[in-house]
Amino acid sequence: MTDWSVTIAAAMLVVAPLLAGGLSLAVRRPSLLHVINLTSMGLLVLAELLITRMVLDDGPLTVLGASMYFDALSVFVLFIIGTVGLACSLYMRSYLDEQVARGVIAPNRLNLFFFLFHMFLLAMVLATTANSIGVQWVAVEATTLATTFLIAFWRRRESLEAGWKYLILCSVGISLALFGVVLVYYSSLHVLSDVGTALNVTELLPVADRLNQHVLKLAFIFILVGYGTKVGLVPMHSWLPDAYTEAPAPVVAMLAGVLEVVAVYAILRIKMVVDHAVPASFSGNLLLLLGFASFVTAALFILVQRNYKRLFAYSSIEHMGIAMIGFGIGGTVGTFGGLFHLLNHAFAKSVAFFAAGNVHRRFRTVDIGQVQGVIVAQPWTAMALLFAGLALSALPPGALFASETSIVTALTVSGGGENGAAALPASLAAENGRMGLVTVFLLSAVLAFGGLIYRVTVMVWGTPQQDIVRGEAWTAGHAPMVLLIAALIGFGFVLPAPLRELLGRATNLLLLQ
Amino acid sequence: MLSEMGSQLIDLCSALLLLTCFAIVAQRRLAACVDLFALQSAFLAGTAALVGFLTDNHHVYVTAAMTGVVKVIVIPVVLKKVIQRLNVKRELVMNVNVPVALLICGTLVILAFFITRPIIPLGHVLTRDSLAIALAIVLIGLFTMIARQKAVTQLVGFLVVENGLFLGATAATHGMPFVVELGVFFDVLVAALIAGIYTNRLQDAFDSVDTSHLTGLKE
Repeated sequence: MTDWSVTIAAAMLVVAPLLAGGLSLAVRRPSLLHVINLTSMGLLVLAELLITRMVLDDGPLTVLGASMYFDALSVFVLFIIGTVGLACSLYMRSYLDEQVARGVIAPNRLNLFFFLFHMFLLAMVLATTANSIGVQWVAVEATTLATTFLIAFWRRRESLEAGWKYLILCSVGISLALFGVVLVYYSSLHVLSDVGTALNVTELLPVADRLNQHVLKLAFIFILVGYGTKVGLVPMHSWLPDAYTEAPAPVVAMLAGVLEVVAVYAILRIKMVVDHAVPASFSGNLLLLLGFASFVTAALFILVQRNYKRLFAYSSIEHMGIAMIGFGIGGTVGTFGGLFHLLNHAFAKSVAFFAAGNVHRRFRTVDIGQVQGVIVAQPWTAMALLFAGLALSALPPGALFASETSIVTALTVSGGGENGAAALPASLAAENGRMGLVTVFLLSAVLAFGGLIYRVTVMVWGTPQQDIVRGEAWTAGHAPMVLLIAALIGFGFVLPAPLRELLGRATNLLLLQ
Repeated sequence: MLSEMGSQLIDLCSALLLLTCFAIVAQRRLAACVDLFALQSAFLAGTAALVGFLTDNHHVYVTAAMTGVVKVIVIPVVLKKVIQRLNVKRELVMNVNVPVALLICGTLVILAFFITRPIIPLGHVLTRDSLAIALAIVLIGLFTMIARQKAVTQLVGFLVVENGLFLGATAATHGMPFVVELGVFFDVLVAALIAGIYTNRLQDAFDSVDTSHLTGLKE
């Protein structure tokens, strides 16, 4: 009974976007395209909730001949895909209609947009649910291919440049990850005899401690660099600000909110395997290194930004860095904080890019200096922008405050011998080193806070230029912003019980407990 | 005896793959680069078929055949069409001159052997050195992408990287699970097509496929 309902739900996750993509190509009427989109997103969320229930009740599941694998971690990522995806679909309703009406997007290219959007979703769902890390690689590369034309959808010179940069950098980065996957396979063949399943997570995890350490270490480095390019970790980040500036707002919200999480998830999956064979401090220290590099670099770049989309792009790099620091430190507090941070960032960054998209459509510029008085021109958007700015600076009304605090806490008290923690020796030198890290963390946080809040407030307050239309009607596109903000504030005070359970279990999985 | 000779043959094929890499780095004409890539892919298909024959893995034959179709025929033909339309047969602009580039590539090969040294003894006797050669090809492909400025050559660099990965997968592990190989093929094909479309659009927008013109986006 439950068996086939899980199978149907799992199949739905794949079939819904696939079918919607196919239908989108055949349909011309814009309203029908939106209906298809919302229906398929609704089905996706429903299926995902059903599977979450099952996983919470019965533990990890494999479906469809063990080709798909669901545990607390992958279900958590699915939850982010579903929620942010639904929010984007609602936002696209008013956004795309206006773009078509203004002639920015030709009406006959609208179905291409939806087709690519659905393929993008499909690739992300596959990357999250695939049991084999080889199939996961194929799906992550497919996300690059599906999004490159979405980024260049406006077909301006700059968007072509951004799209080409994205395609080349991410494809190359991802090729390195494939080399890592080949290496994992190379080591697992010695232990697992079945050629067809030797890359499956369910097969790898039980025997991971017997895999060759040297090979796994090398594999992890390749995979971290490869998928790290997709996450946008420094120094592989140079495509990210360009792509985020040039892509249409709903696409950026998906890139920043969901794709980054999926790429982090791909890294964490391999980390779980590697940590079985190699002490967790190996992968932890590498994550810490990239995390701090991203955090500090992004904080400095946030200070000098004059373009609000780039501002939010660098803030993405910053927050991914913070999450990596959480996973790198490890331990219950750090890992939990990292996962929670991913969720909060996905919500807050979607709101930020939705608001930025609204501002861009009204003011027709991405230059912060030319945008003043959003509060007069677009009161709803201004509130969202202000809230997103506050939340992304990790100030208290948003849940990012809570997650960032727990990561700092983990950084301060780590090394207490917790299982999976990057075990720092408790000598005085290590103590000093750790305090140094905490200082760097807090300084960067202050820099990023100052830069972000200053730029956002400059945009929100004041009076707009004479030629800017004033006043803003409520549209369907405002609903997701309000809902996501409400969720963020809510999470800051209390986490709903199922979500807490999910996060707790995912944390335990990552700590190999 | 058979495996002794087989091992030698596979080493020879891998070495030929590496050699074509150097030829691509040294080649200045765009169309010739594409031809060399097709030649390299043919060697790759040969290596795969040889591995399939010697280890009795039948699905490796399929991947060898697909390499033949996709990388020796389809992608080069598409690239040739792109080049014809762009009318860029003239000498390539290079950031690094040829002798220096070849020296750098030599260093990269040494580096690849150095990196893989600790894990080589684990491999099958048959294909021991191929993993190191595969990594060397990947590194040289990456270097080509940095050293060349035309969009098409960057694409060739990317495809060389893919060939290196594929050699690694075929030679070191006798092929990945079949689903994965199919997926990888699909991705490479689509990536090449998309990059081809991009090249056309870049040409229309910038009147050039020289990626050094792509400097509009800055801090």
